[in-house]
Amino acid sequence: VQPPEKPLQAEEWNKLREDFQAPEIFEEVMLNSMIRCNSPIDVAKSLLTHLAKRNGDIAYSVLVKYLTLCVHQGQVSEIHDVYDIMKARFKILESGAYNLLIRGLSNSDQWRRALTILEEVKKMMVPSRSSYESCIKAASRHREMKLAFELYDEMLAKDVVPTLDVLQSFFDFSRGMKGAELQRELFGILLYLRENQIYPHKTFMRSIKLWFESIPGGNWRGHLTNIKDSGQCPVCKHQLEDSNLTEEEYSNLSERIIRDVIHGTDTFRKTSPQEFEAFQTFVENRLPFDIVIDGLNVSHIKSRKMQCENLFDAVNCLAKENARLLVLGRKHMLMNSSNWKREIMKEMQNKADFFFAENISEDDAFLLYATLRSGKHCKFVTRDFLRDHKACLTDNLTRHLFRKWQRGHQIALYSSAEGRIFSFVFSQQPAFRYDCVVQTTGDTWHIPYKDVFEEKYSYQVPRKWLCIQQK
Amino acid sequence: MQSANMLLRKIIRISVLPFAAQHGMKKDLFPLSRTLSLSLCLKQDKSCEPSEKLDLDEWKKVMKSGLPEEVSETEPKELSSLAAARETLEMWRLAGRAVPENISEEQLKTFMECPSKSAKKKYLKYLHVKELHKKNEKRKMDEKRERRLEAQASKTDETKKSSFLCLWSRTMDKAYNWRAAQSMIFGQPLVFDMSYEKEMSLREVSNTVRQIVMSESCNRKSVDPFHIHFCNFKEDSLYHREFIQQYKEAWGKLLITVTDQCYTEIFPKDKLIYLTADSPKVMKAFDHDKIYIVGSMVDRSIKTGVSLARAKRLGLQTAALPLEKYLLWSAGAKNLTLDQMMHILLTLKDTADWKKALEFVPKRKYCGFVNQPVKELQKTLDLINTLKLGKRREKVEKQFAKNYPKKYKLK
Repeated sequence: VQPPEKPLQAEEWNKLREDFQAPEIFEEVMLNSMIRCNSPIDVAKSLLTHLAKRNGDIAYSVLVKYLTLCVHQGQVSEIHDVYDIMKARFKILESGAYNLLIRGLSNSDQWRRALTILEEVKKMMVPSRSSYESCIKAASRHREMKLAFELYDEMLAKDVVPTLDVLQSFFDFSRGMKGAELQRELFGILLYLRENQIYPHKTFMRSIKLWFESIPGGNWRGHLTNIKDSGQCPVCKHQLEDSNLTEEEYSNLSERIIRDVIHGTDTFRKTSPQEFEAFQTFVENRLPFDIVIDGLNVSHIKSRKMQCENLFDAVNCLAKENARLLVLGRKHMLMNSSNWKREIMKEMQNKADFFFAENISEDDAFLLYATLRSGKHCKFVTRDFLRDHKACLTDNLTRHLFRKWQRGHQIALYSSAEGRIFSFVFSQQPAFRYDCVVQTTGDTWHIPYKDVFEEKYSYQVPRKWLCIQQK
Repeated sequence: MQSANMLLRKIIRISVLPFAAQHGMKKDLFPLSRTLSLSLCLKQDKSCEPSEKLDLDEWKKVMKSGLPEEVSETEPKELSSLAAARETLEMWRLAGRAVPENISEEQLKTFMECPSKSAKKKYLKYLHVKELHKKNEKRKMDEKRERRLEAQASKTDETKKSSFLCLWSRTMDKAYNWRAAQSMIFGQPLVFDMSYEKEMSLREVSNTVRQIVMSESCNRKSVDPFHIHFCNFKEDSLYHREFIQQYKEAWGKLLITVTDQCYTEIFPKDKLIYLTADSPKVMKAFDHDKIYIVGSMVDRSIKTGVSLARAKRLGLQTAALPLEKYLLWSAGAKNLTLDQMMHILLTLKDTADWKKALEFVPKRKYCGFVNQPVKELQKTLDLINTLKLGKRREKVEKQFAKNYPKKYKLK
């Protein structure tokens, strides 16, 4: 339905209503389309008046819709009126109305009232992240940074994830402001980005840069740059953090992989205790390996070719400079078949160690174990993204570790059109020796950023950096 | 012929006018109808002239006036958390969300214990849909009763003469129970493994029990029922509670064997076959000498390998239904519900006809039965797969080429 352009008399509304095919929901449909067309508020008012006269009451859902319209158009006094009416009518409101009220009021000069509503919501439930967002933005817009940060901390404490928008607004509104406390809080946000491996997008990066440069007496200068493969920043000549895991992180990750990925809730789901034990002794007796290969994954590089030939090519390609190889496979590969020729398998077993798991066991788990057990230099070969194994890890921190380790240690093989096999380290070419996260040395900050706003694949890392140094 | 046409046209022309005036066809006949109703409009305009100016804020007055006077007197008391939750629900209902109208104390508690907002929403929607179903059912029952009363009223009280008393359902029950009792002595055992309680949520357990109840009833009604065993059944477990809720007092009179023992303690290991969709072995034919085990588990989140792990641990044989062999699978998981399994196994036992048995697989999951020889079909499937895989690989390569336009490094 098309909403009318001018306020209508009761009779006219009645007529429209009668013409409508489902008169029971006429008001809702009409208000929805008013919201869609952003109709003048007077039209909606006339509909409400008509409704009030006819029924002596207005349903809550209709009031909320009217409120939506008011919020969209920034009609602050109307928002107040609706709030008063709702407040008097109902003991409490639901989250949709609260969100609208907070959003509407926080954009006005009466933004403090939005804060009182937020307090009211907190008594009932955890406020939504958009509510927090509105309040934080309102507070920081009015230069009440302390209040904004209190809300922000509270939000984090309640496990409500802030949007990048909120984080950016902190930098935007703190520009040119003084204060050690404020500076500490903003550094805290940068560290939040670091801990959660979040990369800011270009406009966000610019806000960060401008804020740094605006700190009175701070003498910060920012430059956009690309980091060299060696990990040295071309601007400030600082060496970026190493991409290797620390001893502690490394042992932590290996432990978690054995516990969560291999054993999980039931060792029998992926392997069996006997098999895992046999594999463990096999690996311990032959340590360390340089490259661990997922035999079945690699054997599918080229679909036209026999599977064992693919594997043979890959093994030849990797078996250089006396690298110690371990190929993981399943027992069915040993049966002489059209895809797995016994002679070729024999020949390969001279070049690399082989471990054959049961046909119903998961070989990926063994792959991870053998690589981790061999030490930090060891790489593994598969095109699998290993997402399902990452998902088995129970906490976020370990998942981040896994991703970091995977970035540095996974090799993916691809075949070219000419039939040659190429390899390169997953998602990075060549392997980064430095870690791609927000980092600081005190007088420098290095912040990787995304060129575009959209999300990227989790295994990709941005290649552009913001370098900030203090003169 | 022509004259007839002319006549028809005339009739239409005559009849259109009053019709249009009545229904106010706005588009092409609008000017006409306006002239017709002009005088009426003028009259109306005059009548509402005094209140020409609309008071747009009148609704606020109405809303405020309808309020009880002693608003200031009733200080907003601190609500108890339960009452607050009830209040919130009521507001959600007013806002038009999928929320049940009536909610019991227990359900309210479950609602409050939901760990997240989305879990809460889901639970409420579930209750809402359940409530709708119940209401519909009740409405239908009422209608049926009314119809029956009407039919009774109109019927004359002549009774048919028949050599049987009308005791169908009771006699049938007796016959069924007789058969089930026989199966408990001579029948082929079928085991339900009741050891999955820990893997399931509360709702999954109750779904499981519902499915088992249906399986049991269709088993009882079959020509040659299985002897059903519930193994690993713990007293006072969730399963037990749900069963009592479903069966009520009939739970004690069921003609099945319930035990807390494992199937491996009751039957020889080499006779047991664990049916699981994850099994690498595909069932070829139904074996009347074997004892099949079905895991009593509903897993909405598709936890792969749970029942296979159980069979592996005990060193049992496993088997999967030959779904791929007989059906062109289209969508959905390969795990079937317990009552579907029961139907399939019963049909296999009676007829050994796979096609007939697999009729019980839900139609939405497959496109049709395979009628070509399997080998040929496999060939075409392989072809499709290589085409698909080939394409996918190309895509990945392109993706990489796009991201890393530099030359691949040779290693």
